[in-house]
Amino acid sequence: MKIRFKLNGREIEAEVEPNTLLLNLLREHLHLTGAKYGCGIGECGACTVLLDGEPILSCLTLAVEVDGREITTIEGLARDGELHPLQRAFLEEGAVQCGFCTPGMILTAKALLDENPNPSEEEIREYLKGNLCRCTGYVNIVKAVKRAAEEMAR
Amino acid sequence: MEAKEVFERFSERESFLVIGRSIRRFDALDKALGRAKFTADYVERDALVVKVVRSSLPHALIKSINIDEALKIPGVVAVLTARDIPGENQIGYALPDQPLLNDVKVHYVGDPIALVCAENEEAAFKGVEAVEVEYEELQAVYTIDEALSEDAPRIHGGEDNIAVTTRVRKGDIEEGFSKAEAIVEDIYETPYQEHMYIEPEAAYAIPEGHNKVTVIGTMQSPFLVREKIAGILGWSLNQVRVIQALTGGAFGGKDDMGPLVCAKAALAAVKLRRPAALIFDRDESAAYSVKRYPARIRYRSGADAEGRMTAAEVDITVDCGAYANRAPFWLWRMTAHAAGPYEVEAVHVDGKAVYTNKVFGGSFRGFGDVAMHFAVESQMDMLAEKLGLDPLEFRLKNVLRPGSRTTTNQLLDHSVGMEECLRGVAEASDWWNRRRRVKRTEGKLRGLGVACAHHGISTSRGAPDWSAASLILNEDGTFTYRTGICELGQGSQFGHAKIVAEILGAPLESIRVEGPDTDSTPNARPTHGSRGLMLGGSAAADAALRLRSRMVKVAAEMLGCDEGDVELRDGRAYDRRRPENSVSFRELAREMYIRGVSPAAYGFYAPPRRYFDPETGLGVAYPVYTFAATVAEVEVDPETGEVKVVEVWPSMDVGRAIDPLLIEGQIHGAIAQGLGFALTENLIVEEGRVLNPNFKDYVIPSSMDMPRVSNVIIVEKPYRHSAFGAKGVGEPAIISIVSAIANAVYHATGIRFRTLPITAERLYRALRGEKP
Ligand code: FES
Ligand code: FES
Repeated sequence: MKIRFKLNGREIEAEVEPNTLLLNLLREHLHLTGAKYGCGIGECGACTVLLDGEPILSCLTLAVEVDGREITTIEGLARDGELHPLQRAFLEEGAVQCGFCTPGMILTAKALLDENPNPSEEEIREYLKGNLCRCTGYVNIVKAVKRAAEEMAR
Repeated sequence: MEAKEVFERFSERESFLVIGRSIRRFDALDKALGRAKFTADYVERDALVVKVVRSSLPHALIKSINIDEALKIPGVVAVLTARDIPGENQIGYALPDQPLLNDVKVHYVGDPIALVCAENEEAAFKGVEAVEVEYEELQAVYTIDEALSEDAPRIHGGEDNIAVTTRVRKGDIEEGFSKAEAIVEDIYETPYQEHMYIEPEAAYAIPEGHNKVTVIGTMQSPFLVREKIAGILGWSLNQVRVIQALTGGAFGGKDDMGPLVCAKAALAAVKLRRPAALIFDRDESAAYSVKRYPARIRYRSGADAEGRMTAAEVDITVDCGAYANRAPFWLWRMTAHAAGPYEVEAVHVDGKAVYTNKVFGGSFRGFGDVAMHFAVESQMDMLAEKLGLDPLEFRLKNVLRPGSRTTTNQLLDHSVGMEECLRGVAEASDWWNRRRRVKRTEGKLRGLGVACAHHGISTSRGAPDWSAASLILNEDGTFTYRTGICELGQGSQFGHAKIVAEILGAPLESIRVEGPDTDSTPNARPTHGSRGLMLGGSAAADAALRLRSRMVKVAAEMLGCDEGDVELRDGRAYDRRRPENSVSFRELAREMYIRGVSPAAYGFYAPPRRYFDPETGLGVAYPVYTFAATVAEVEVDPETGEVKVVEVWPSMDVGRAIDPLLIEGQIHGAIAQGLGFALTENLIVEEGRVLNPNFKDYVIPSSMDMPRVSNVIIVEKPYRHSAFGAKGVGEPAIISIVSAIANAVYHATGIRFRTLPITAERLYRALRGEKP
């Protein structure tokens, strides 16, 4: 069946099966490989994308569900060659190691900052708890989110 | 050698250009943009999907494998078994005990039997279901004691289930114990730990022409992967091209899994003449990939009335699981570190690794040193208590110092910062005051614990070790640096680039690092044993020094000055006496090409030889050791038994900090993994079956579980034989955090756990009087 949705600011159309997962649609059909498979059952957050600005797990979402809505993936975050403040902060703070969790982590953090531009450390930790990272111990990730919040407030 | 002198000059530089500064790593940009490519991101849609048919029994003879039904499933292209392997069906690492595909016998639940190759995932899964394997079940052994019992079935034939043994005989043990005022003895057990890298194992193989294959995969040792694939295919090394894709976390596990996964994909691609991808599901990764080896350690040690260690008698048993894999190296590492980072006169160690019918163990950050130090550091606390000494004070009396001798009687003449690490965390945590102060807060119990660690850098058992790299000055003045050291998240390649930049005075942006591709990168040997920066980086330095001397020579001629007056900085060569007289690297490069001066250099590095006497185990076990100390404060909820780590103070003697931010990153990550190992990560294996192969039930720390991590204290005791004196930093931090937490739990509750993890349930029961 045919679906239409906005992907990273662009209207697109795609032919999908009723059981096609959003993660597979993005990765295999649309060649956007920023969202990752880490578990396929909603436990790691590596496949996170934004649906109308809200973080969702694309491994648990059917492609048909996004019909008529708006999806943002990590590839759509930097605009006109300008990094998003979160991307910049992740680089500056050393919050990126292997980078496999990074796309999901940054998108979840973006949803947080859109909701709450000035989160406390506790709030950041709470919001990110569904995004697992095995490399960084989250220390610099939390720092990066704080830094981005500060930068965006300026 | 001249290079060595130049190198020493560099190491003594008072201020460095890029070494020692935290610089934003350039490889992180693609990762933050979502453009970094991991193995699965390369796979084309029409590639064959490969799935593994695995044994459902822990120990059985294979009577028959019937693939007929599977082949009837639409979309299934082929089912490959052992008989399809053109080369040798053997993939064991240390011992030849492990077939790639089993057709005679299976040794654990999950042992590979066949590969279903299909047009899509659905067909592949159906195909796996449809393969019929007929078994004759054999008695299985699950524990060390069962494996060692007289009438145990022999898992790999032979006289018993012992894969390998080790020993150390240092000093007179009787005399040592006779001098002891306090002696303690206990048995420690550490469990499996699953890596749970967020990227599961993956390989993508593409046949090239009629006799070559390219394999892109997630791994740590591209050249080992190449060797194993060539063996399976019966090909020579140059027929196999292995490319390491960016790897989404590895922690040792992908060192072992790389060959196993890549060889299967390569076999499918070559047999079926089509690109083929094997990507593990999470449960497959968690249940059947290698794990940290479980171990049991009986430890008896003593100290005299002055608080000096006099003797340690240690008996180690490693549970290999179904295959030996890295066990000889794992066991040797434990053996060589058995006395901990302390000077102990008399040390006797006996080690063995035994087979059981469970998932096999393998490399994991810290190797056997995590388990070994858990025993050592518990003993140290107990001895201190018996002698009425403060545990940190007691450690300070015994730590290895320059001039000390290790477990294997290795003399440490320099680069020994254990004492500084320990004093550093004592001061930062305000140890003596805090230790007295911490107590009941609102019904919670608080405790403070300390632990030390040492970790020999490079491979174990005196196996020859060396590394290589190449560097090219391009016509436009930029550089292409090639290394076989893998990027796993740790940033080692970036560290190499900094070393090159420092030596050549080149802007970091002008250096492009090309990661492992066995067709074009020199063999840097594995990215394990915390050797990536120390060995790989030293090869980088060697290449840079060689290229530098040629650049300086040509520059001197161009500038009309002495070679000694040429300074390379900011991408230009200057005449130091007349700094307005300079040429850019672009001009210099062009001149070198015109004059026929080679613009390429091959760098090679080998650390000083190690050796040991097989009878006594004595000798030089590792070229150098990294040291670490950690203080941890915990809060225990007596109502639930839950332990919360409140704050951690880490320190490490890194030799020389190439990049403090990278070091910090390694330490933070190791703290998280160690915390998981100490408290929550609990792989449940019943009758050889892993019952919780997922993130929900095998709990790794989330952002909510991490403590406050105090500033990392970096101690610098440069190592004389490596680039700028750097030592490996990837592993040591996980070693000390585990014991620091266990010791803090004891301080808080008075309960000493000799088995990990200290789960809420176990602590809850222990607080109510059950034996921990
Ligand atoms: S892949 Fe979607 S949550 Fe793990
Ligand atoms: S950076 Fe590797 S999982 Fe987060």
